[in-house]
Amino acid sequence: MNYLLSIFIDFFANFGIPKEVVYIIFPIIPFCIVAAALILVVLVLVLVERKILALFTQRKGPNRVGFCGILQTVADAVKLLCKENIEPNVTDRILFSLAPIIAFVPVMVCWGIIPFSSEFDFISISVSSLLFAVIAVIPVIGVILAGYSSNNKYSLIGSVRSAVQVISYELPIMFVILSVSILASSLNIKDIILSQTSMYQVCGWYIFPCFLGFVILFVSSLAELNRCPFDLPEAESELVAGYNTEYSGMRFALFFLGEYAMLFVSSAFITALFFGGFLSPFGFYISEKIFNNNVLAQIGIYFEQAFWFFIKSFLIVFLIMWVRAVLPRLKSSDLLKFSWRILLPLSILNFIYICLFKYIVMIGGLK
Amino acid sequence: MIKKIYKSILAIIIGHITVLKHAFKKRVTLEYPEVKPLLNDKFRGEHLFDINKCKACGMCQKVCPANAITIIKDENGLNEYSIDYKKCIFCGNCYYYCNFNAIMPSSNFELACSSKESLVITFKKAEEA
Repeated sequence: MNYLLSIFIDFFANFGIPKEVVYIIFPIIPFCIVAAALILVVLVLVLVERKILALFTQRKGPNRVGFCGILQTVADAVKLLCKENIEPNVTDRILFSLAPIIAFVPVMVCWGIIPFSSEFDFISISVSSLLFAVIAVIPVIGVILAGYSSNNKYSLIGSVRSAVQVISYELPIMFVILSVSILASSLNIKDIILSQTSMYQVCGWYIFPCFLGFVILFVSSLAELNRCPFDLPEAESELVAGYNTEYSGMRFALFFLGEYAMLFVSSAFITALFFGGFLSPFGFYISEKIFNNNVLAQIGIYFEQAFWFFIKSFLIVFLIMWVRAVLPRLKSSDLLKFSWRILLPLSILNFIYICLFKYIVMIGGLK
Repeated sequence: MIKKIYKSILAIIIGHITVLKHAFKKRVTLEYPEVKPLLNDKFRGEHLFDINKCKACGMCQKVCPANAITIIKDENGLNEYSIDYKKCIFCGNCYYYCNFNAIMPSSNFELACSSKESLVITFKKAEEA
């Protein structure tokens, strides 16, 4: 970020704009980038999910609006924007309109935490992976408020289920983050990514020493995202639409946006921890070879890193959608049993194993 | 215990592979207005009525469970034959009981129209010159 800031200050110095103004303007740019990227990614994700589910069930999916249906989600979004904001009679008004905002804003903060390339880490603090895990839970408060304030038994049951899910699946996630940070000797996501560089390219990724951790984190994030097979809070066949039963129009769109943005950002987090984040899988960057190390190569590398990050994250998203196409919904009690009896002991075992691995293999403690 | 875990993991993996196989199969979606579905030979759609074969015996009128068929006779025999598609349930009794094969099924199922009156289809005997 400092490198970009110096370029930015130089650029504005040409027009005679003082440094102090640039310091104030600069943080707005990442915000705009995050907001634009988030909405774009969500529009793509919704379409991709519908197309992939159609693919797995031998259907064609949306293919009428625009070329091959690419404008379908844009049409849906316009419809949601134009819809009336219906508010039921006996609701807690302030909480009712506050809930979608609380559910959506932390997701944007999470987007800021993820370093999409080695310079574009908007919120860079030394414990960013811990911060991510903490902030990723806050949307659930919005969900609980939505269920409580909308004065509807289905909403309330859905939101309570969501809360239970998050409480029981947060512990395994924390243990996995801890074990990865032990491997990388750092809690900063960028440092974790950079520590996955190795002589053997792909073999340096933490998926190889910590495969069990990847499986645990994947399953737990499925539960945190309310995705199949853990989509109990939104179980259509039992709870109408769960916590967003009473919502319509823009407020529903905020919930929807938050959910899909969180889906992408969680897979980005998994990518950062286990698949080398923005690192190229070939060990070199193509733009380096094309532009022969001039200024264009310097900028091209950042875009290439972002490209690799997005490709890897979309592969994880594909995996999540694949799971949705296959597995049926779990029972509520089975969900809790699975977390406390299987995932938590496994994650502790994984943690101990990673500690031993770090001591014996990476440090060479037994010699 | 370990055998059970192994079996369930294997089942999940097999399920994923089975679903993935379906992604490469032929799509089953028919984009209806452009592509018409293939119909069975015995499909009962709009009626084909041959007014020259009809002897106005009144059998179809009798067996019709929805009373959709009206026959108006005059001294020369049949004068007017009408089928009301508001009432017709496409049971196929009229074809089955017709002794002269005057009424037959066709595969046309696109019967939607904009007015109530056009749902009643009337066949009149051509006036002989």
